[in-house]
Amino acid sequence: MSRFFYPKLAATNLKKNAQTYLPYILTCIGTVMMYYIMVFLSENEGLGKMAGGSQVQMILNLGCYVIAIFSAIFLFYTHSFLIKRRKKEFGLFNILGMEKKHIARVLAFETLYVAGISLGVGLLGGILLSKLIFMVLLKILNFEVPLGFDVSGPALAAVLFLFAGIFLLTLLNTLRQIHLAKPVELLMGGQTGEKEPKTKWPLVVIGTLSLGGGYYISLTTQSPLDALTQFFFAVLLVMVGTYCLFTAGSIAVLKLLRRNKGYYYQTRHFTTVAGMMYRMKQNAVGLANICIMATAVLVMVSTTVSLYIGLEDVLRTRYPQNIMISTPMPAQQSVEGLQTSVKEVLAKHRLEEKDRLDYRYAALVGNQEGDTVITDMSNISNASSSVREFYLIPLEDYNRLAKRTASLGDDEILIYSSGSKYEEDTLTVLNRTFTVKERLDSFFENSPNRVSISGSYYVVVKDMDVVKAMEEARAKENRDDPSGYRYYLGFDLEADEADISAVYQDIRTALRSDYPSSWIESPVEAKESFFAIYGGLFFLGIFLGALFIMATVLIIYYKQVSEGYDDKARFEIMQKVGMSREEVRGSIRSQVLTVFFLPLVTAGIHIAFAFPIITKLLAVLNLTNVGLFAWCTAGTILVFALFYAVVYGLTAKVYYRIVSWGTSG
Amino acid sequence: MTILEVNNLKKVYTTRFGGSPVQALANVSFSVEEGEYAAIMGESGSGKTTLLNILASLDKPTSGEVLLKGKGLSTIKEKEISAFRRENLGFVFQDFNLLDTFSLQDNIFLPLVLSGKSYEEMSRRLEPIARKLGIGDILAKYPYEVSGGQKQRCAVARALITKPQLILADEPTGSLDSQAAEGLLRLFKEINQEGQTLLMVTHSVKAASHAQRVLFIKDGEVFHQLYKAGMSDEAMYQKISDTLTTMATGGGRHE
Repeated sequence: MSRFFYPKLAATNLKKNAQTYLPYILTCIGTVMMYYIMVFLSENEGLGKMAGGSQVQMILNLGCYVIAIFSAIFLFYTHSFLIKRRKKEFGLFNILGMEKKHIARVLAFETLYVAGISLGVGLLGGILLSKLIFMVLLKILNFEVPLGFDVSGPALAAVLFLFAGIFLLTLLNTLRQIHLAKPVELLMGGQTGEKEPKTKWPLVVIGTLSLGGGYYISLTTQSPLDALTQFFFAVLLVMVGTYCLFTAGSIAVLKLLRRNKGYYYQTRHFTTVAGMMYRMKQNAVGLANICIMATAVLVMVSTTVSLYIGLEDVLRTRYPQNIMISTPMPAQQSVEGLQTSVKEVLAKHRLEEKDRLDYRYAALVGNQEGDTVITDMSNISNASSSVREFYLIPLEDYNRLAKRTASLGDDEILIYSSGSKYEEDTLTVLNRTFTVKERLDSFFENSPNRVSISGSYYVVVKDMDVVKAMEEARAKENRDDPSGYRYYLGFDLEADEADISAVYQDIRTALRSDYPSSWIESPVEAKESFFAIYGGLFFLGIFLGALFIMATVLIIYYKQVSEGYDDKARFEIMQKVGMSREEVRGSIRSQVLTVFFLPLVTAGIHIAFAFPIITKLLAVLNLTNVGLFAWCTAGTILVFALFYAVVYGLTAKVYYRIVSWGTSG
Repeated sequence: MTILEVNNLKKVYTTRFGGSPVQALANVSFSVEEGEYAAIMGESGSGKTTLLNILASLDKPTSGEVLLKGKGLSTIKEKEISAFRRENLGFVFQDFNLLDTFSLQDNIFLPLVLSGKSYEEMSRRLEPIARKLGIGDILAKYPYEVSGGQKQRCAVARALITKPQLILADEPTGSLDSQAAEGLLRLFKEINQEGQTLLMVTHSVKAASHAQRVLFIKDGEVFHQLYKAGMSDEAMYQKISDTLTTMATGGGRHE
């Protein structure tokens, strides 16, 4: 036998199966490219040296792992689909006299070709595109774009290592399948008799419960802190629910429909119900996969996009004022001293403070249980959703800021709730019980910690004596030193970012010696790192979104192809039995449409139910603009649905070509 | 009364990529009377299947016409052809053509459901047929759960349930073992004796010997025909064999 027989046969095989192999190879190329680019970016030295670059690279590093794991699973899965379709071919080879080791050799060559093409084209494309993507990333991050072009050695090595591994694994798996099968089984291939699916009620119940549970968590979680811990649990429940309901739930519903004879034996429903049952049995897992991936894309893209677009909002929420100073007040220093220092700095820059907000306060953290707050640190669990922050503010400062003349008794308070509502009439804290004289429905717009992941209360007490007494009681309970009271001073400046930044630096220097424990914040200072983190997330969201979409497209395509081959025979029989081509076409089209848009609709429902909990999560990330998030979500869904419809339309053509092949004669 | 009339039927296939045209049917004419049981015989490639597809209105002739109860198939509009086929023709195929997504009962109901009949009427119609064909106790099963003979009996039930003018059978014994084939042929005879017109395409001499009349097709033309007319099955078998031998050895046209 010629030395070139196997390589030639392998090449012919690939060409002959181009309809299914071409998309597979394209996907391989795509994943190789994406993985190279991701590793390239996360290893890029230039990026690491930029301010905030290391945070971005941490995020990108995470992306590398996600892509690696995803590629491995996904390529493995698609390849097993390819092989399933080709078993008949292998059986034929076997019967024509090729031994299994010969088939193995052909397969090895095929894999070699696929790997060669994927890695060659993928790496080339990756190297070319990496520069472009790098510039896009820098643009997103608001970084300067450096010149130059480089190829990353470690990235090349990582890609080669990962994908060589993946291809080797797929080959070994195929060989295992071929080795175990008998020629006749191979010949029979994908056409072993399809049994009618059984209704698995336990799965239906589990699915309904876990989906309901996931939705319930999302709808009822109130505090952002809870959202943080519960979100992944909810995601897990919804995933389980989706798989169970797609596989078992759909069959159960169809069987119930079939049991209803008046409904089932109608021309329109008859073929649809039976056809759907068969289709769902075949496709449920694939559809559940599409659904979950679609949901993941939607959540990822909509959140990262809204965080990025809402960055200014986020900064404003996190830093309500241009300059924010908070400091413990040591006994030997005075409020006036600090104010003077700040004034001097401003005078130097010829700037005036605007919307000044300043007050003295003491902070308490505790677990709220009804009207009682437990402040003993050893009893506080930080993860608990009942953690609350209390800011005790003297009436004098409140009256001054609010321009009111309220009066309070020794044990009377005014309370303002941010986050969760304070419903009780009294407040007992550190063995002292206060009566709520008034619930304030507004407080100072720009006070810091307005949004906090735990709920916070501003409590106005009679005077500084009460504030100090409470702080002392707290220190005594926790056996640490009383820090007196704290002082907050915040204001806006009408100046550009550079000036604000200069003021920020000067105040920092001015306060360093007298107020060593003070902290000063400014959105200007934080902007870069916020851009780095949220821009990095945004980039990752879009990038992974693209990867998932690519995977979704491929799954849809393969589903269409396999559906097409399966439907071909049915299509012919139905015509012979007396359905017109249009009727058959209509019936099959409506079934196929249902099958493919079910995941999209379900993903939409998931998103709708996830909305409340995601808004809470975004609040943790300081994005409180629910409207913006709603728009981003709607936009993402719309774009995705359009994209999905286009992909469906294109792949449906392949489907109809397969189905009507030969019946057109 | 003549149920089926075929006049000067011609079918030429042109291949998809513009190869030389292939003539499947050259000039076929014959007719089938009401209540008749006719068989069409011919070797592979003689044009049997093409003829059957045209009779079934699944395919269109290049020229010539097919009249069912005096109505030309080519005059029926494309939209109505399926309903026409459903109501006037019953089919039995070599490979059964049962849908594996349906139980046997639902397979049998399929044409009726398509015509919009109620469940009650369908069950009423099925009951005597199922009894006659002996499939009453397997109706709830699925095609992959039963034997070939049982599948074919269900396919016959599906053909009968619409009370068609004519049943077309394409190699109905082709996938059956001898015992099941024998049973099916007996069944066809019974159905025929109850007045059902049958037209069967086959190359099994055994199957053809059960028919009242056998038409032989060769090279796209009706080459010869034989009438049973009181002959026993065995005698008919012998006569068909002789004819086939003559045809194969290139004998001239018989009269």
